[in-house]
Amino acid sequence: MRGLAQAVTSGLLIGGVYGLIALGLNIVFGTMRVVNFAQGTLLMVGMFVTYWLWELGGVHPYLSPLVTVPLLFGLGFLIQHLFVSPLLARERAREPMSVLLLTLGLALVLENAALLFFSADFKTVTTDVSMQTVKTAGLIVSVPRLVGLAALAATSVALYVFLTRTDLGRAVRATGQDREVARLMGINDFRIYGVAYGLSAAMMGIAGAVLVPFFYIHPGVGTSFLLKAFVIVVLGGLGSMPGAALGGLLVGVIEGAVALWVQAAIAQIVLFGIFVAILFVRPAGLLGVERR
Amino acid sequence: MRLAIVAIAGAALIPFATRALIGDDDYWLQVLIWVMFFAYLSAAWNLIGGFGGQYSIGHAGLLGIGAYTSSLLYVQAGVSPWLGMLAGGALAAVIGGVIGYPCFRLRGAFFSLVTIAFAEMLRVGTELTDSLFGLPINGVRGFLLPVVGHRPAEFQFSGKRGYYYVMLALLLVILAVGWLVKRSRLGYYLAAIRDDEDAAAALGVHPARAKLVAMMLSSFFTAIGGTFYAQLVGFITPTRTMSLDFSVQMVVMPVLGGIGTVLGPLWGALVLVPIGEVTRARWGGSVQGVHLIIYGALLMLVILRWPQGIDPWLRGFVRRRRAAAAVEVAPLAVAEGPRVAPRAPAGGGEPLLRVGGLRRSFGGAVGVRDLSFHVAPGEVVGIIGANGAGKTTVFNLLTGALDADAGDVWFAGQRLDRERPETRNRLGIARTFQIVRPFIGLTALENVMVAALPRAASVGEARREAARWLAFAGLAYRADVIASGLSTGERKRLELARALATRPRLLLLDEVTGGVDQRSLPGLVRLMQQIRAEGLTLLVIEHNLRVVTALADRLLVLHLGEKIHEGAPQAVVTDPAVVDVYVGGPVARG
Repeated sequence: MRGLAQAVTSGLLIGGVYGLIALGLNIVFGTMRVVNFAQGTLLMVGMFVTYWLWELGGVHPYLSPLVTVPLLFGLGFLIQHLFVSPLLARERAREPMSVLLLTLGLALVLENAALLFFSADFKTVTTDVSMQTVKTAGLIVSVPRLVGLAALAATSVALYVFLTRTDLGRAVRATGQDREVARLMGINDFRIYGVAYGLSAAMMGIAGAVLVPFFYIHPGVGTSFLLKAFVIVVLGGLGSMPGAALGGLLVGVIEGAVALWVQAAIAQIVLFGIFVAILFVRPAGLLGVERR
Repeated sequence: MRLAIVAIAGAALIPFATRALIGDDDYWLQVLIWVMFFAYLSAAWNLIGGFGGQYSIGHAGLLGIGAYTSSLLYVQAGVSPWLGMLAGGALAAVIGGVIGYPCFRLRGAFFSLVTIAFAEMLRVGTELTDSLFGLPINGVRGFLLPVVGHRPAEFQFSGKRGYYYVMLALLLVILAVGWLVKRSRLGYYLAAIRDDEDAAAALGVHPARAKLVAMMLSSFFTAIGGTFYAQLVGFITPTRTMSLDFSVQMVVMPVLGGIGTVLGPLWGALVLVPIGEVTRARWGGSVQGVHLIIYGALLMLVILRWPQGIDPWLRGFVRRRRAAAAVEVAPLAVAEGPRVAPRAPAGGGEPLLRVGGLRRSFGGAVGVRDLSFHVAPGEVVGIIGANGAGKTTVFNLLTGALDADAGDVWFAGQRLDRERPETRNRLGIARTFQIVRPFIGLTALENVMVAALPRAASVGEARREAARWLAFAGLAYRADVIASGLSTGERKRLELARALATRPRLLLLDEVTGGVDQRSLPGLVRLMQQIRAEGLTLLVIEHNLRVVTALADRLLVLHLGEKIHEGAPQAVVTDPAVVDVYVGGPVARG
């Protein structure tokens, strides 16, 4: 039983990081009905910037969001402005699928360019917190992973406050509900999209910072997290913010628990089974809104 | 046609040419095999991705299913890969269907996410599995197929020539399949769904079913490509066979070549595979992924600048050369327009449509509140009311584009408020849209064909039927124009023709005269009067009071989602309460 509790705890902790990435995907989807395939690449950028800050400047990874958050916000805003906006202006469809292909192309370019310039070597950052653990109630809790969970919680709260309590946040939600009407209300929808894309990218700065102390850094690292995030958003509900957090934790726990009990291979199969079952029972995801 | 025969003959002779020119060096043959292999896979992907507009990014999973099925059957049971190939195809078709079905009830991006998640979980699961039900999967190590020498019956050849011809045959098969699908019932349905799924469903097309069939076909052929890959390379691992790389390439090539075209996948592969070969030869093993940078950049460039890809450009090139020899196309031979008579007479004195207690709200706002009314067979009922009165919402509730919160709808003695839109259309309800929604990628004639197809015995019959309805709507002279090139007035006529081609017993007309210029107006009104004169039951939303009072037997007045008045047109439009809401203030008398 203790083993199970330990596995669930570890799963919850890594689930925090999964949840952060899924949350980033869902902000973009929730506002412009676009799946951002470059999300994982932005995480990779966040991790590399954090790595170089540590390697060259000795900046502790937990301080790097001071740099990575504004940097990635700007990068996200720029990508939206340069590539996504022209497509959104052209497409009248409610879910512009061409944007999905465009971000796929962008991810290919950025990831493979990183491979070219940074090489495929696995890099790691060992800080004072990397190996630290705390023991409570007989459970061993890894400190950097705990920080990851705390980051998910803090980011979710901040995002919730932003979306519900500020004018800009309300404008983001309004644009997500109906782009045409929001525009008639005097909202500049393309600026809002830029903000949403920037926010989503900025969150990858935070996710990168909390990952770096306990995870390897590699040009392909973003893609492996992104693929997991896709499973999560389908489980939790495409476009649903609480769904992303819940799905992230759920996937983390399933992976942890089943891998401990049986083996890692079975964890994937169990996850797949749950995935297919949810597709059939609740195709919109656990917390998704059914749209036909 | 002649061009195609020359190309095929040329492709068949290439192995002899390479042998004569450069001896037994198989390198060039190998490159050509890869070109054809990727063209084949892209064309298989194109069946659902291009024709149906459903972008799967997990086709490598299906490729893996094909490769593993035939290889395991061969190694474990000695089944020839030729048979294993079909078994793998069948298995992939089933799995593709299972994955696709729940997505196809939803739409868009969801399917992309599910397919990519599926392929990824399959890959990781396979990498971590050493044996499954006693079958040696060998996890990440994968397995080698035994080398048995030149045994065509077991799908093994010495040298590359055998594989070259097998691949050439497979490629011709998949291109033929694409050509046939595009001209089939399924092809028209998919094209309509890709442009506007709701409008397609309102014409009786079953969107989920069409997409499911396309996905299963696509999965079947993709898995067959997997078997070919296993036999060619002789070594499969989950990491390579089910890689995201493969999935992405199957997307990039058709997009570059021309998404949704028959030959686009071939053009894409002809451009991209050599680029991959060149970069690999130049940078070799030291740096991977240079070709993927180029693929990604080209993908972005095409999406941003030439969304149609290479195909239309090549076509234009060929057409210009042929223009001189062009034969004048005979105009569509059309006799009289068909009669609009209902498919079957309604029974007794029963109303054709009976609506009771219909309610629907949007968040806090009420769209329709406790609405009850009926329409008798042959009757023409007008619905009027100010903007936001809930008129179009009523149509959406009747056709199933929206689900009602409460209330029931009976049509010809059958309850239909829980039926799907396509079912309601098949039972006899058709509509036009306030903001016209033609399938902009299809010609005017093809637009109407989509509506005629669910009831036609063949594509040819649907074409003749559609031509008659186009003539009825006065659009015969525009039959071959792509719908995006039609004027608003013409689009309204097109929608009428499309709705009539479903042979409805009740036709819902949503502001046919709305947004139409003064010159087109009389013609449209005449068309509506003609439909009325032939006895079709109509429910008409109309802002133009003069038009609606002339057309309708009875008027319903809606105000903020409620029926506030009902009666003969003249009585209704002079009623003070109606004038009050309609004109927006008490009207001074005298």
